[in-house]
Amino acid sequence: MLAIETHGLTRLFDGKPAVADLSLAVAEGAFYGFLGPNGAGKSTTMKLLTGLLAPTSGQASVLGHDLSDPKRALQVRRLVGVVPDGLSLFERLTGLEQLRLHGQLYGLPRVEAARRADELLTAMELTDQAGKLIGDYSHGMKKKLALAGALIHGPKLLFLDEPFEGIDAVAVSGIRRMLQQLVQGGQMTIFLTSHVLEVVERLVTHVGIIQRGQLVAQGTLEEVRGAGTLEEVFIRTIGEDVKERRLSWLDEKGAVGA
Amino acid sequence: MSGLRDSPLAAFTELRFRLTWRRLLGRRGVGELVAKVLGYLLMLPIGAVGAIGIGFGAYSAASGKPGMLPGGRQGDIQVTAMFFGIWQAWTAATLAMQEQESLDLRRYLIYPLRPGMLWLHGQVAGLLGDPLALFWCLLLGGGLAGAAAGRFGAWLLPLALLMVLFGAATAAWLALIQEMGARVLRRAHVKALLFSGFYVAATLVVVLVAGFNKEKPKLQDLVAIFEALQWIGWPGAMAAGAGRRLFRGDLLAALPWMVALAVATALAGWVAFRLALAAARDGGGAGGARVGQGLGGIFGRLWPGPGGALLEREVTFLARHPLPLVLTIILPAVAGLVAWKAQPYIPVEAGEVVRALPIMGVALYVHLATQGFWLNGFGWERGGARLYYLSPLRLEAVLVAKNLSVAALALGIEACSVALMVLAGGWPPAWALAGSLALHLGSAPWFFAVGNAVSILNPRVAPLSLQRSGSLPALSALAGMVTFTGVAALFALPVLLALKLDQGWLLAPAWILLGAAGGLLWWRTLPAAARLLMSRREQLLAAVTGDEA
Repeated sequence: MLAIETHGLTRLFDGKPAVADLSLAVAEGAFYGFLGPNGAGKSTTMKLLTGLLAPTSGQASVLGHDLSDPKRALQVRRLVGVVPDGLSLFERLTGLEQLRLHGQLYGLPRVEAARRADELLTAMELTDQAGKLIGDYSHGMKKKLALAGALIHGPKLLFLDEPFEGIDAVAVSGIRRMLQQLVQGGQMTIFLTSHVLEVVERLVTHVGIIQRGQLVAQGTLEEVRGAGTLEEVFIRTIGEDVKERRLSWLDEKGAVGA
Repeated sequence: MSGLRDSPLAAFTELRFRLTWRRLLGRRGVGELVAKVLGYLLMLPIGAVGAIGIGFGAYSAASGKPGMLPGGRQGDIQVTAMFFGIWQAWTAATLAMQEQESLDLRRYLIYPLRPGMLWLHGQVAGLLGDPLALFWCLLLGGGLAGAAAGRFGAWLLPLALLMVLFGAATAAWLALIQEMGARVLRRAHVKALLFSGFYVAATLVVVLVAGFNKEKPKLQDLVAIFEALQWIGWPGAMAAGAGRRLFRGDLLAALPWMVALAVATALAGWVAFRLALAAARDGGGAGGARVGQGLGGIFGRLWPGPGGALLEREVTFLARHPLPLVLTIILPAVAGLVAWKAQPYIPVEAGEVVRALPIMGVALYVHLATQGFWLNGFGWERGGARLYYLSPLRLEAVLVAKNLSVAALALGIEACSVALMVLAGGWPPAWALAGSLALHLGSAPWFFAVGNAVSILNPRVAPLSLQRSGSLPALSALAGMVTFTGVAALFALPVLLALKLDQGWLLAPAWILLGAAGGLLWWRTLPAAARLLMSRREQLLAAVTGDEA
């Protein structure tokens, strides 16, 4: 069964396509890395799949539910966890309140939501910050809290938009292991976008590459990567030569500061 | 010429101009642009009328026409009234308005530009982008023209300079108040308490001073109060001091006042700038203090399931925003003062219904005071707004939680206000108490039904503190004004009937009926509002999270 399936998914902004005729197929239980250069349409695709944006045309289904059916929308959301670009945190709540209320909004009883919130704060090493307002958190702490929020209701499918951006290496390593365990245990499908190709390569089982709103490669990591590294394939696929670029004014002696 | 064009300051000016221009021409800026143009168009005739009034007073003071009072006192009163009137109106209006053009110093500190120049630039741009500034200029121009008509001569040059200095002084003073307010109110509720206490104490002083004389206060008594109060805004008071002497024809006596005014302006501006710079370098943060649980948990338990969580979040937010606390202190205090000092002036022969109008007025006014929360309900969500669309919530529940939390806040303020009015003015008839409650509760669903639509159709990021106090975009404020007028007119109909029959007991049942109709309207429009909330999700998220998709 496919966790995510799209056919001809298109979204236009002012008549220009941000995502064009996208046909994705993400198998259940996969750890899917969705890659692309800046402005390729990764975040727009994620917003289309999570209901934050409406498509201009095309179909999308998540965990077997057609997203265009408004009656199914709530059912889909119960099964999905999302760490969106820009996060979904209330700055005037404390970290503990955010997680507990987040859990309750997903239908967990108050006591259970509080228990899971405590456990997640420990796992994310945020226990010391639990009583502080989120507005006072660092970017990395907010990211970890958002990830904790996405996990609190035990989703079947997790959407992560740049989850490692701004998080220190130790925390990245811990979160990476946690995500791998979730997928390997067959509990979850993960759809992830990231620019950190080394991390993606160590994590994912499947890869899709998008450029200018169109899917240009898709398959298992081995199929897409072949004999090279993911970075080589990525650069080759999006058609960019890695040229040595020099800036004329920085070559000149004493040019700095002029 | 090219040196000026290539200067970093010119680039900075161009940058801010382009940002403002694109914001106004952008998807969400058209309404603001229209409101701004309308504002300028509206200010021209209103300012002209005000200028004629001010000009007439200045003419009378300058020409030295024989007045009612001896020793040039009449002219002094007119000059003081002119400066005090402009100063207090300017201050009140600026503190109440949202400053769209206000400069976020933090964003520009990375550039090699002098921070003082950036700050000054922000102040000037703020004045140029404010339609009300045109109004103040017209008033000052009217004063100058009136003085010229009354007594033409060289003294008009220092008077013109005085007017310019007065404008700069008021602007600098306002900047100082705003920076101090921002600094004080950004941190904790204890500070909000101090702010409210100061406000209430100042009102109490005015009421006490005005109330010493049980007879109708005389004009010179009021001016004496103004002359004392103007020192709260000390730069402007110096302008009045210089103005009085200039109008008397004593230029030498006016000069020290003008020098003092210039020094005070520079000092106020410098302190305001230093505070702004310190706040910018401080990151503008609250320091990461731990916060208490608050009332939210109690409300959250009243409604099981996700609805309770939503209600808890809303109540927690309101409890942590300084404005509800400030309103809860100021409105009941002012209501108590009205019951104590103003209500006794309503003659018994006016009838019971008229005598009960203050307590009714408070019931309605509380909704006006809290309108920022029901007309821009999503303004404080930031990234959290995404959760409404990502989690399995019925969007009706989001709106209900927002409306219930604001209703609880408003009811709390209404209860405190009525309690203080009873304490200060004695017990009103039972029907008046019931009527006040019925009016307050009955009008709420009408406001919330409209407020939900306005919140969804015209959302705007609102400040989390009282700094730059406004929380409403111009169009929403206009919608609020129309809604408030309409609902007040609707609920005034039973008052007309009660006045005609002199039967106050009619009010409560009539308002309960109107409230039931409003409740039905609110309930029936909820699904449509929820659908609108869903269909407008892209615009709403773009507006409140800064996420342009």
